[in-house]
Amino acid sequence: MKRDPDKFWNPYLAGVALGLVLLASISVMGMGLGASGASLRMGVAALGAVAPAFVERTPGLARAWNHGSPFDFWLSFEVLGVLLGGFVGAYTSGRLKAETLRGPSFPKGKRLLLALVGGIIMGAAARVTRGCTSGQALSGGALMSVGAWAFMFSVFAGGYATAWFVRKEWR
Amino acid sequence: MNLLPFWSLSGEARELGLVVGVLIGFGFGFVLERAGFGRATKLAGQFYGTDMTVLKVMFGAIVTAMLGTVVLSGLGLMDLRAVADFATSSTFLWPMIIGGFALGVGFIVSGYCPGTSMVAMASGKWDGLMAVVGVIVGQVAWTSIEHLPAVARLQNGSDLGHVYLYDLLHLPPKVGPAVVALAVSAMAIGAFLGAQKIQEIVRRMVALPADTGSPSTARLVFAGFAAFAVVGLATVAVPTGSAASQKQAGALTPLQLARRVLDEPWKVRVIDVRPMAECAASRVPGAECVPAADLAKLGLADANGARELILVGGAGATAVPAAAAAYPGRIAMLAGGFPAWASFALTAPEVPAPGAGPEALENYRLRAGIAAAMTGVKAAPPPPVPVGDPGAPKKKSGGGGCGG
Repeated sequence: MKRDPDKFWNPYLAGVALGLVLLASISVMGMGLGASGASLRMGVAALGAVAPAFVERTPGLARAWNHGSPFDFWLSFEVLGVLLGGFVGAYTSGRLKAETLRGPSFPKGKRLLLALVGGIIMGAAARVTRGCTSGQALSGGALMSVGAWAFMFSVFAGGYATAWFVRKEWR
Repeated sequence: MNLLPFWSLSGEARELGLVVGVLIGFGFGFVLERAGFGRATKLAGQFYGTDMTVLKVMFGAIVTAMLGTVVLSGLGLMDLRAVADFATSSTFLWPMIIGGFALGVGFIVSGYCPGTSMVAMASGKWDGLMAVVGVIVGQVAWTSIEHLPAVARLQNGSDLGHVYLYDLLHLPPKVGPAVVALAVSAMAIGAFLGAQKIQEIVRRMVALPADTGSPSTARLVFAGFAAFAVVGLATVAVPTGSAASQKQAGALTPLQLARRVLDEPWKVRVIDVRPMAECAASRVPGAECVPAADLAKLGLADANGARELILVGGAGATAVPAAAAAYPGRIAMLAGGFPAWASFALTAPEVPAPGAGPEALENYRLRAGIAAAMTGVKAAPPPPVPVGDPGAPKKKSGGGGCGG
């Protein structure tokens, strides 16, 4: 098979494929897809390893900590699958490459900093919204949750409202 | 309910469930990568109008899964509301709008959403790794301040419970989801065509080569959506035994009912089906007095199913009356009926003997608190816990306190 890093699946067919994965998750496991839930458990486990006293006296962290090891958690296994699937997908398409994706004239260090800052914003927001674009928008949206749809339109609104300010990052 | 609810099982089935989790995740990650979602530069194109892949893939996936669940539940293979109650969070309207906006800001700044950043990390992108680390840091940081009153107020406000688009339509329970799925499919196809148009215009403006995709593939997918939407509507006519007769009414203990009535009264609708005279004499706070014979007049089948319907009957009442069974939302019966409630919540509990264990004292406090809240009569305080030397009051060493 020829590897072409610039060749992607047709977006509509990719959407149908993603929808079938989601449908399988809902009908077999009774749960949607997720991403951010596992990050929290990993993060709390890491923090608990270095500062157990702080975790124990902070109510929210203690709750996540008391749920047990992140490896005793369905979403963590699902995320392990996401990493494997992403790796295999990238390897077989020729996109597996250590690089920093950014606009042609944007400095690398600044791009990495913005990726971190954006991630922090998303992490905090995903707590407020009880899930991110995977758990809330995709899974909740497919199951017609009113909150999920409000969330989804809000995500697009936030993205479009900010795009102009960070345009140099991308072109 | 689900075909194979591994999640609730234990032992070997749970391990099998975790393996299935890895497989499902693999499919998720692989498809995201192949769609181009491991590349921030491609994802960001959505917000500059040059590449509408995010919209197409996301809405395509939502419509596909939505039509699938509607058809499965239409054929009686899945209880859509029960699955959704388990798989989705309840609707916290304002937190979701505000948090969603913030997440959108984070999306365009980092170039990823939490799921796609993992795919980017797995395909070697340093910016993906940074976004993954950021999401973890952001979540842990926010979780550590969640208990602060101002944060809790923002985060836990406007809790509407589990409410779905079909609840907003006031349609019969079987028809609603199919109609919503049809409308969403039509809306999505409209959005796809509009997005394609915008993409063509923007790409011409910024002098990028045109990217028309494959119109024949698009038409094929749209036709598939339309076909399944029609199948979803057609299943409404399939006599699978209506959702109502399949639904099992839960049983609530008086303690569970007291917690709901005190903590979240807006999430429940309590109906007392005993004869009017008995209900008028004494009832659960907030309960409506509707004798069983008059239930049909309430039109529960057409009511909004967002609140849980709780029925309170006499001592032996266990069966849900037919007129209530048609309610589209969840239904629960109070176990033991009103007599159980009266002896639990309206009777002051026995004061535990001095020296009773902490568990007995805690139980007493809870019961006394509930009885006091429900009757307005204060219960006697529990006996003091004996301390080391009951005779001599302890004298604080040093000052302290306000009077110090």
